[in-house]
Order: sequence, then structure tokens, then C-alpha cells
Amino acid sequence: MKKFALAGNPNCGKTTLFNLLTGSTAYVGNWPGVTVDKREGTYKRGEEKVDIVDLPGIYSLSPYTPEEVVSRNYILDEKPDCVINIVDATNLERNLYLTTQLMEIDVPVIIALNMMDAVEKNGDSVDAKALEEKTGLPVVAISALKGAGIKELMDRAIKISKEGRKGETLLKNSPIAHLIRDVAIALDGQKVENPLFHAVKLSEMDEIEAGMHPELVAMVDKFKATFTDETFGTDFEAIVADARYKYISANYSSVVEKKNTEERVLSKSDKADKVLTHRVWGIPIFLVILLGIFHLTFSENLLFLNGFTEAQGWMPTLFDAVEEGGLGWEENAWTTLVACFYDGALFSPGVIITNLWNWIIGWIGTLLELCCSHAAPWVGSFVVDGIWGGLSAVLGFLPQILVLFLFFSILEDSGYMARVAFILDRIFRKFGLSGRAFMPMIMGFGCSLPAMINTRTLADEQERTATVRVIPFFSCGAKLPILTAVAGAIVTSFGVGNADLITYGMYVLGIVTAIVCVLLMRSTTMRGDVPPFIMELPAYHRPLFKGLMIHLWDKTKHFVKKAFTIIFASTIIIWFLSSFSWDWRFLLVEYEGIMVNLHAEQSILGSIGMLIQPLFTPLGFGSQLGANGWVFAVAAITGLVAKENVIATFGTLAAAVAGAYISTEEGITEVVAMIGATNITIPALIAFIAFNMLTIPCFAACATAKAELPKGKFKWTLLFWVCTSYLVSCMIYLVGSWWWTVFIFAAVIAAAVVGIVFWNKKHPVGKKSAAAAVAADNGELLAEAAVTDDKKEE
Amino acid sequence: MQWYEILIIVLACAFVVGVVVWQILRKKKGKSGCDCGGNCAACRGCTHTQQEEKKK
Repeated sequence: MKKFALAGNPNCGKTTLFNLLTGSTAYVGNWPGVTVDKREGTYKRGEEKVDIVDLPGIYSLSPYTPEEVVSRNYILDEKPDCVINIVDATNLERNLYLTTQLMEIDVPVIIALNMMDAVEKNGDSVDAKALEEKTGLPVVAISALKGAGIKELMDRAIKISKEGRKGETLLKNSPIAHLIRDVAIALDGQKVENPLFHAVKLSEMDEIEAGMHPELVAMVDKFKATFTDETFGTDFEAIVADARYKYISANYSSVVEKKNTEERVLSKSDKADKVLTHRVWGIPIFLVILLGIFHLTFSENLLFLNGFTEAQGWMPTLFDAVEEGGLGWEENAWTTLVACFYDGALFSPGVIITNLWNWIIGWIGTLLELCCSHAAPWVGSFVVDGIWGGLSAVLGFLPQILVLFLFFSILEDSGYMARVAFILDRIFRKFGLSGRAFMPMIMGFGCSLPAMINTRTLADEQERTATVRVIPFFSCGAKLPILTAVAGAIVTSFGVGNADLITYGMYVLGIVTAIVCVLLMRSTTMRGDVPPFIMELPAYHRPLFKGLMIHLWDKTKHFVKKAFTIIFASTIIIWFLSSFSWDWRFLLVEYEGIMVNLHAEQSILGSIGMLIQPLFTPLGFGSQLGANGWVFAVAAITGLVAKENVIATFGTLAAAVAGAYISTEEGITEVVAMIGATNITIPALIAFIAFNMLTIPCFAACATAKAELPKGKFKWTLLFWVCTSYLVSCMIYLVGSWWWTVFIFAAVIAAAVVGIVFWNKKHPVGKKSAAAAVAADNGELLAEAAVTDDKKEE
Repeated sequence: MQWYEILIIVLACAFVVGVVVWQILRKKKGKSGCDCGGNCAACRGCTHTQQEEKKK
């Protein structure tokens, strides 16, 4: 089967084209580096099939980033039958730089001139035929977004794949043309494939080439000794780059006709960027947008129409409104339905959907109770309180997770997140990270795993290690039920605060903790220079509705699958361990029509919980909570399997342990019941949230971190997570309970900072060249490439 | 003990064992256990993809 490769700059539309050709639902993001590695699919045209490989977005075939090395090695070693070079027609000159390098390889190349719809919209035009004549390569104008020109592209690509092609260079008139020719002849004599490409790279003293052909390095050095350029001296890499751009500018620019620049005004994207990436207001705007998202997802007082505090209460409750309207209050389906939207305050869209969803979940619970009403009491406890109690506690948060995920997807697909990386770079740099590190961190808001894997876009190893370590602090979707349930329980039990503000505050705490930890790491064990950050800002565009719905459907499927497998199994195990003692006595007894556990501390789970409960005393949810407090300790531990298990544990245990505090008539939740049963304080609850947010993530995330971190760093990372979560939670509990302890903490922190500054002054770190840093990071890849070519020569 | 009680216990045990075995088998096949909801085709977390690439 034929093999075609898609190559092009980041954000040129490769993945959109890949999806069109292969029918795959690959994720399309506007951040450079979303596609970290190649993806494969199959294009079918009748009986004919073609393997399509989507290479990472690259600006050139130089060896400075893993993506460039991966793409280069694929084209040279895997020898695709054709390379489809996707070129962004709105940025022709920059995109053609890569084309000039692809032309030098002995492989058929076809240029797909993408985003022609955007070119036409701008009032510009690109002459594809003229470009074809000038480059000598077939050129097809397409619009991957609209699906235009795809058939013609593939027809021509299949045609040229049967013809083969010899590489050509446009550096024939460059100052080092002689050197390139001589090296190419030498390589041809050695029967090296793609001699022209290797010759150009060797002339640039490309690290990979120098490693593969050390005997020819002497030839280049000899030439260097007798050559010098007025502008670039003997920097052949700069000479070659300059020659390429000059050629592109002189020969290819004429194919583009731009609208009269005098009439040209700033594009909509530029106008938006003047505000959204403002030097001063950019970050506050981002924080406000983030707050808005949380408000629309979690708020039970939309736009604060009911006042800013509970005491203000500008709007009547539903009961008062009905009574005052003279309708006479009657609890029925209609009042329950209206209560999903309004009860003393207008609810946010996220809360409305959640209330409607929980109405359905409540029906299922009632149905299960009915089914189990004639069975043995323990069956009812097992099925209704144990399994369904745990499952429903987790499933209840699905709507809010999806609403939050939807908003983040909109921000990402619109191109705004790329701007956030840009504006945060200035701040992140002060803490030892570049804005590029922000992108994997933001992915951590969805799930830590792909976020940790995405750190491969960071060339600097220390920056990558630091980023992997702090990614779990950006609360993933699995931690959202913990935040929401406990925040909601605080508002219900204590009547203070707003659930959305508490949730937002905890997210901000995670971000602040991440920044502080990175600063600490970069000041102590990971000192070094911050790598430069260059990024292309894509134009804003309206996210595709279909794309958003596909993302939401994927998320829903995986959440439900996880709930009915891992969480389901976990609830069974938790119920069993909490209902039986070590000598197999069944501990549940009937009390006012429900099964409760009056001696929960004698159960298997209870005794284990009581053993570890004292460890959490400095955090506020340890021994001070009495006989039932072990539930908090156990919930934190079960969260290691899956973070949703924390709330599932409350759901499963609360009925048995704190059953007397649950009143279905008032709709008091399981967490509220545990608050009643243990008298836990607000600072301790906040500390509990913080601990679960910052501690060791789920097992799957741990396995990924171990795979991504350098050897020997994983165990220190585990220690880092435990210590950070313990310290931060301890601080929150102690300062929240005894305000004066803030002075003690301030003094300790100040002493630590002074100590670190003095230490750094006495032991300065030497500056490392960027090339050496990249060479060290790419060491493995360089070695692999060298081995591959050695094997070929054998 | 009634027959349905025994059935419930057996089903519950079988389910737990089944989930544990399923996770172990997934791990042995090199499939990712992240359940992140993302598209696995674009995710290097899928060790299955990594192993296939190493074979090539």
C-alpha cells in the first residue's frame, strides 16, 4: 500500500486535512505542539488505499526540536511515496521555507495551498499555477476546512507518486554553492541516499549529519578556513537560511496579490489581540474570563442577582413567590421542575442542567429502592446505599464536568488559549518557565495524562521535569466532583460563601501552588536558563459546533465507562470492607427504616481508616473528627485509584456511617451528612479539598509521569507531591483555624527564601549554550538516527 | 440465605474480579488506562502505539 506523509508548519491545517482524508476524529487544537507525534490513517479511493501519516508541525528540518527530528527521520528513512506539503496560503513566504528544504530530498512533493477561503476573504489572491511553474512542484489550491480541492490534490499526489523525483536545491547561486556541490558528489560516491539534502545539511554543520559523516566534516572545515561572508562570517547555517528567504522573496512573492495596503485595516484577529494580549490588561482579562466560566458552571446565584451575600437576599424563594402569587404551594412535578431553574436565586446553566440530571438520577434511586423493598435489608443497603450511592454521587457531576469542558474547548478551538500562553510567558519567565510550558498545564485541566505527554514539546529537560511535576496541581476533570461536592456542602452546612467562588478559588490555589513550586525548583535543584519561546499566533476563528459536540461525546463516553467499571467495582469493595469486621461479623443494623453502621470503626475499612486517621490531624480531618472521621482519611486514599472515588466513598459510606444525619426530604447530601457526623470545620474542609487536589494523582497519571520523567526522578516526584499537599493543607487548616499562625509561616518562608538567595549567590550556575542544551536533550534521538544510518550502510 | 442473595454476592464478586482482570489485561496489551476522554489516536499515552512504532 502507498504511503503519503503530510508535512507543514504548525496550524497550517494538516490535522484538518488528515481528518478529511482518513475520516478520523483526531483532536484539532490551536496550540503549537498539540500533535506531538505522527498519526496514521487510511485514505480510500475506490479499491485503492493509501496510508496517510500526519507528521508533527515543523518550521524546518533542522534538528533542534524532537518534532523536527521525527519528521525528518520519517521522510528520509521510511521513504514515503509522496510528501504532501501543506502550505498556509495566508502566510506563504514563511511556509515555503520548509518547502525549499523538502525539495532537496529525493521524494515526490506536492504543495497543497491551504486556507484559500481565508485568502479570498481577505481580498487577496494567490496564483497557484504561477507558483507551480516557479517551484517546479505540482500545486493544488485547497480549503481543508471547507473540503474544497481535496479530490484533485489526491489525484495528483497519486499520479506523481508513481513517477519518482530527484531532489533539487535553490541554493545554486548561494555563496556556498561550491561546497554543497562538492559534498553532494562525495556523498553520491559513497552511495548515500538523498545526497543533496545531506550535503546542504552538512554544509550547515547540522549535528545529525556531522555525527553520521564525520569524514566530510573536515571538507567543510577546510572550506570554512578560506571563506568568509560580510554579514554572517562563517555561520553557514545563517548563510543558507538567508539565501532561502531571499530566494523565496525574490521568486515566489510575486504569486501573491495583496489587497491595497492603504485600504487594509487591522484584521479582526489583530483588533481582538490589541485588547486580549494587552501588556497590562491581558492577564486580568484572562482571569475574568476564567471566573466567568466558573460562574456559568457552578453558580447558584447567576450574575449575583440575589445579592452578593446570603443576608442580602434580593429575590424571594420559590415557596414565597408561589404563595405571594396566590397560587398556593403544592409540591409536585411542576414545582420540582421550576426549582431546578430558580429557588431564591436564578441558577447558572451548569447548575440547571445538573439539577435536571439529578432529578433523573433520583428517580433511578427511587426505582431501585422499590425493587429492593421486598428483599433482605442488606440487599437494599448494598444496592441502593452502597453501589448506587457511590455511583450516583459521581454521575451527578457529569453535567458540570461537560459544561466546564465545553467552555475550555471553545477557548482552545477559538485560538484564545494560544494568546494566553503568549501573555503568560512574560510572567512565567520570571519563575523559570517559558509560556510554552503553559500549554501542557492547561491541558491538565482536562486530564493530567495527555498534559504530561505534551511536555515533550519542551526542549529543556529541567523545564519538562518541573512542568510534569506541577501538572497535577491543575485540577483535572476527575477532581471536579470533590471540589463541587465539598464547596456545595460548605455553603449548605455553614451558610457561607458561594460554591462557584470557592471552586474558582481552589483552581487559583492550584495555579499559585504550581507557580511557587516551579520557582522553588528553579531556584534550588533545577537552576538554569529559561529557554526562548517563539510561537505563531493563529487567527481567531469560530469553533466548529460539530467538533465541540464530538469532544463532549468522547468525554461523556469515557466518564460513564469509568463510572460503570472502576468506580462501580470500587463501591462494591468499599461497601464490603465497611460492612464486615475482621471476624466476618455483619455490622449493619436497621435504624428508623434504613441500614446504619453503629460500629463502623470495627469494620475492616474502619480499622484501617482509624490507623491512618492520625496522620491527617495536622490537616484538620484526622483524630479531631472522632469515631467517624476515618471516612475522610479513607476517601483520600481511595482517590489514588481514581479521584472520583473520593466522592464515591462518601456516597457509599455516608448512609451507613452518618445515616442519622441524612434527610432525603431536605435533600441533604452525603458530604453534608459527614459534616454533621464529624463536626469538621470549614478550614479543615478546605484543607481536605487542597490535599486531594495537590497530592499524588491517580495511578494512571503516576505511570505516565514515571514514563515521561528522566531516570531516578519519579521517586522524588512522589515525595514532592506528598510533601506539597501535606504542607499546603496544613497551612490552610492552621491559618484558617488560628489566624496568628500566619506570622509563623511567613517567618519560616522568609527565612527559607533568604537561605536560598544566599546559597545561589555563593554557588552560581554557569550559562549553558542553547545548542548544547538541545543537543543533550536530543542525544537519544541523535544516537538513534546515527544507528539507523549505520545499519543502512551495512 | 435466599437464592437471589447468593446470586447478588456471586455477581458482585465476579464483577470486581472481572474489572481487575480487564485492567491487568489492558496493561499487558500496552493499552493506556487513563480514560481521559481524549482521542487515543493523538495521544502518546497509548503504549500500544509506542510498542507498534518500536517494532517498526
